[in-house]
Amino acid sequence: MKAGEFIIRPATVKDIPFLADTIIEAEKAGTDILSWSTIFGLTEAETRKYISVMLSEEVDGCELSVSSFLVAEINGQVVAALSAWIEGKNNESSIQLKGNLLSYVLPRDCIIRASAIYPVIQEVHIDYIPGSIQKGAGYIVRDFRNKNLFQILTNEIIERLLKSDPNIAQAYTQIYGCNIPAIKANEKIDFKIVMEKQSSNEEILRYLPSNRKLLLKREL
Amino acid sequence: MEKTEITNKLTSIFKKVFDDNALVLSNELTANDVDNWNSLSHMMLITEIENLFSIKFRLKDLNKMRNVGEMIDIISLKLT
Repeated sequence: MKAGEFIIRPATVKDIPFLADTIIEAEKAGTDILSWSTIFGLTEAETRKYISVMLSEEVDGCELSVSSFLVAEINGQVVAALSAWIEGKNNESSIQLKGNLLSYVLPRDCIIRASAIYPVIQEVHIDYIPGSIQKGAGYIVRDFRNKNLFQILTNEIIERLLKSDPNIAQAYTQIYGCNIPAIKANEKIDFKIVMEKQSSNEEILRYLPSNRKLLLKREL
Repeated sequence: MEKTEITNKLTSIFKKVFDDNALVLSNELTANDVDNWNSLSHMMLITEIENLFSIKFRLKDLNKMRNVGEMIDIISLKLT
């Protein structure tokens, strides 16, 4: 698909380095806190390496799936990416698929560390809703922001998923409370805040960008 | 190992990981049925299972486990 000067297309394994950066930047939510680093005890470079390995396994149906991403390209250069998937498609829960990748790829000491931290961070966990579209990580290279790419990618990815299942009635996205630009960008394209979870445990801020997570919904 | 014994051992792991002593396993049980079953707790669950049964799953095996019954079947195969 051509959208102005940009080509919008499904991601391929060749895009994995950009997709790994997308996941990392989205997870930081505009802060310096990368939960993959704080929870698993990894450097950002190690995080990028392990995310790339998980993406290269080509498991479909979760936030660590190459097939969940669309990318925007200009002059042969990828400048933006966005992921979304249908939760529970083929009776496969995305949390299980992601959990499988984490347990299969990450070193044991990372998992042991995460298990100790888990009770603190799970306070802001929000479940995915089976049978709905879940919009995941998105990232646009700084020089290409304010060109409507976020809206173009969101509409295109929802349209493509609806073609595979026209009965889906809602799309959801989860955003950290500190990420005001992302909240505003989503509200501009008809996502509305429908729920929030907040932790009063200050320790959570050692591991996550915010102690508050929001659930936004768009009726389709 | 008999499937009943596998189920009993799995029950103790599930109770520990999901911090729920009342949890009862059935073959049909899925992630949607259990509070706090998310990607991190699923990762912890798989790791506990591998440790307790001294096995290592292939990714292909893990992705076939859509409910507890399929999990028990795959563990049983790994142990034979």
